[in-house]
Amino acid sequence: MTWKANRLALRQGSLFPLCASTVAGIVIITPVLVIMWRSFTSGKMGFTVDLNVTNYLRVFADKDIWPMLNNSLVYAGGSALLGTGLGGLLAWIVARTNTPGKGLVELMPLYPLLMPPIMKNIAWILLLAPKSGILNGMLEQFLGITYPVFNAFSMAGMIWTFGIACVPLGYLFLLPVFLSFDPSLEESAYIAGSRPVHTMLKITFPLALPAFISAFVLNFLRALRSFETPVLQGTPGNIKVFVSRVYDSMALEFNTGLATAYSVVLVILSIITLYFYVRATRFSERYATITGKGYRVRVIDIGPWKYVTFAAVCLYFLAGIAIPFVVLIVVSIIPYFDYETFMTFPSHMGLNNYRTVLRHASFLNGLRNSVLLSVVIAVVTVFVGIVMAFTIHRTRAVGTKIFEFIGTLPLAFPPLVLSVGLVIIFVGTPLYNSLWALGLGLFVAYFPYAFRNASGAIVNIHKELDEAAWVHGARWRHVFFKVTLPILKPAVGGALFYIFIEAIRNVDVAVLLTAPGLEYGPVTLFEYFRVGQWAEAAAGGVIYLIILIVAVSVAKFAFKMKFSL
Amino acid sequence: MAILKVEGVTKVYKDLKALDNVSFEFDTGILSFLGPSGCGKTTLLRSIAGLEIPDAGAISIADKVQTSIEGGVLIPPYSREIGFVFQNYALWPHMTVFKNVAFSLNLRKLPADQIRRRVLACLDLVGLGGREERYPSQLSGGQQQRVALARSIVLEPRLILLDEPLSNLDAKLREEMRVELKKLIKKVGISALYVTHDQEEAFVISDKVIVMNAGKILQYDTPDELYSHPSDPFVASFIGHSTLVEGKVIKAVGGECVVQIPEFGNATLICAAPKLQISSGPCSVVIKNGDLRLSHENFAADTINVLEGTMVSREYRGGLTDHRVQIGAKEVVVTSHRLCPMISVDGESGKVFLCIEKSAISLIPQRASL
Repeated sequence: MTWKANRLALRQGSLFPLCASTVAGIVIITPVLVIMWRSFTSGKMGFTVDLNVTNYLRVFADKDIWPMLNNSLVYAGGSALLGTGLGGLLAWIVARTNTPGKGLVELMPLYPLLMPPIMKNIAWILLLAPKSGILNGMLEQFLGITYPVFNAFSMAGMIWTFGIACVPLGYLFLLPVFLSFDPSLEESAYIAGSRPVHTMLKITFPLALPAFISAFVLNFLRALRSFETPVLQGTPGNIKVFVSRVYDSMALEFNTGLATAYSVVLVILSIITLYFYVRATRFSERYATITGKGYRVRVIDIGPWKYVTFAAVCLYFLAGIAIPFVVLIVVSIIPYFDYETFMTFPSHMGLNNYRTVLRHASFLNGLRNSVLLSVVIAVVTVFVGIVMAFTIHRTRAVGTKIFEFIGTLPLAFPPLVLSVGLVIIFVGTPLYNSLWALGLGLFVAYFPYAFRNASGAIVNIHKELDEAAWVHGARWRHVFFKVTLPILKPAVGGALFYIFIEAIRNVDVAVLLTAPGLEYGPVTLFEYFRVGQWAEAAAGGVIYLIILIVAVSVAKFAFKMKFSL
Repeated sequence: MAILKVEGVTKVYKDLKALDNVSFEFDTGILSFLGPSGCGKTTLLRSIAGLEIPDAGAISIADKVQTSIEGGVLIPPYSREIGFVFQNYALWPHMTVFKNVAFSLNLRKLPADQIRRRVLACLDLVGLGGREERYPSQLSGGQQQRVALARSIVLEPRLILLDEPLSNLDAKLREEMRVELKKLIKKVGISALYVTHDQEEAFVISDKVIVMNAGKILQYDTPDELYSHPSDPFVASFIGHSTLVEGKVIKAVGGECVVQIPEFGNATLICAAPKLQISSGPCSVVIKNGDLRLSHENFAADTINVLEGTMVSREYRGGLTDHRVQIGAKEVVVTSHRLCPMISVDGESGKVFLCIEKSAISLIPQRASL
């Protein structure tokens, strides 16, 4: 458009969405800029600061930097490979084989919604801890092996815990590929003389590769950003990764310069990973084995192998879902946790831990804050996300593409890093240690999900629907409230629910923004666990589990919501 | 009073000129924009609605300026008081038929009983009485089409804009709907702009047609004029049912002229050309497929414009039959009615005689610039 036409276009409404998006954009980009700026300065905050690279010099002079980089990559790569591989295998078993009992796996997409990540770590530490762990205790009692075989506080332990948590994503990425695979691709291989196993190896698996890579990279990114596993399992075993180093710089030294410098290194790693993710999804689009046609996939009779796959399914069900669940519940109802008491179950059963937890002001306060904030944050992020997506795709204001970038930007920043930025902004102001700072942190961390969801949904709504309202007399606010918003309703419901579920169990944003008197439920559990109140932590975790089960059931049965992560 | 006046409207997308200095005026009735996809017809319609902002030019509806880039005027679409029927109908899926149609009335805060009366009357008019509580997804394509039409006329605007409204219907329904659509628009008594790429649809529906290509208006005429006197080779070929050859005017006397056609082995044809301004020079010759006569035997000796050719093939189309005849280097299609004598392909070594009536030919002088 010529500048004259441009100026005329700008005058036509679109002022409110543009302003709202700009305010949201500033809120989102500020912590990011603060982190960048702070990483290049030294000196005590609030006093004079020098612009220099001291922090980076210190980061790269740290003799632990290379082992740390190595640890980060091994941990992220290992758990992504374990999770995606197992998830892909389960997807193939469910979609394409006649394995008995594969219904056990079909429950899986629900599981990550129910189990807060921190509870998985707690459960596995209870099982695998070198001295007090249940499995090591059993080996000693029944087989006489005194050497601790399992060690939750090792790289293998970390990979195991987080890898198992990565399985559902691998499963969900690969299941549609195996389910809607065009059978003629395999049939033509059969006709060319290829036997089933050969076809599977040469045709089926290679065609599933792009989806596998996408899931792998996404799991890698999740591991890189993960907080609970490195801090709860890595730090005690002295296995340092970037996230735990950032946390230590903040929590132990309160050295914001150093924390931000480590953060920037971590962010660069995240951005590289994100770049690969974008590449991987483009790559899979080019493969495009999935068409709109509804195929009936062929279930292959794998003969006696089906007992092997059945064993795999059972093993995953036990290790991935049942055992951690059961352990948590049992530990929450025994008087205190050690191996001997655990083995006396069910003789000393009682609800004492629940009574204790529910009498703690810190737990009750945290519970209230987390429920309240996650509801508010879900509503606010989703609404602002829709306004921003609307500004980009539906108004005539020029240059709104920048919001696409700003709205997605926090994805490159691990949540812990974002909260470092917020701490720096708010320290010394009345907002520090307030619900506002905590809410803002959650808003910035979850905004990209709300925004990407709204953006995808708006793009899918035919533009003509808006234009029809427009030519028939509707102004911008009418278009937004009477057409766009009602049509977006299903997508809005899903996003609200997802962000609520994620926010209510958040640890990594909240951990730096809480204080005595300003608790956040999951962080409180994290603290209980760190000071050794394991049974109370388990009881508190079970309370969260119950809240999540209620929320998921309400969503599933009252709103008929479908779950796919 | 002109209901619509478009002056020098230009719109450029990156390097593509969608509209190139388009100007015309239109009084009342139904006007079609006809052209191949990408010719700018939809951009023109959307610019008139205010959905698209041109880079230059002015548009007024009923003598009121709506868009004037030079004059700094841009009335937003919601204040233009027009109706618009979209290609995919664009019915709001979350509203009932009643609410879809009542949308613009509700925005104007009319009393509820008046809204109800007007919506129901409008639905009756389009033949959807009794279906007002349905949702769009519960209606057939043709019914959705009618709802979209009802929605666009319920405010009784002076002008409604229709963007390929029938292209999503199947062929049979399309033919029914275009007749009905015309009847309805005439009954309501409003003017309409109609975008289509189907020349038959444009001819059936409209009082006047604008043929466009590459962002330019090539011809603005009544359907009959367009068919019998195309003013541009592109118009002739787009409208179809004709064979286009290059020729040369060698003599022009009293409304008749003689053209020589190299592709027909330098044969000459006599044709009526009352409007032809030139007396010699190159021109395009348009021969109407339906106005030709074909025979195995030669015509009477005094018959003009008789050419000799060979039959290539014959395509039976039901009521009509296409005969492909090779004349010189060119293949000519002769469309004949079912009741005309059949010309077989393989009879007597395929030799046939073709008679081209004077009225079957129109001439398009070649433009100096081309």
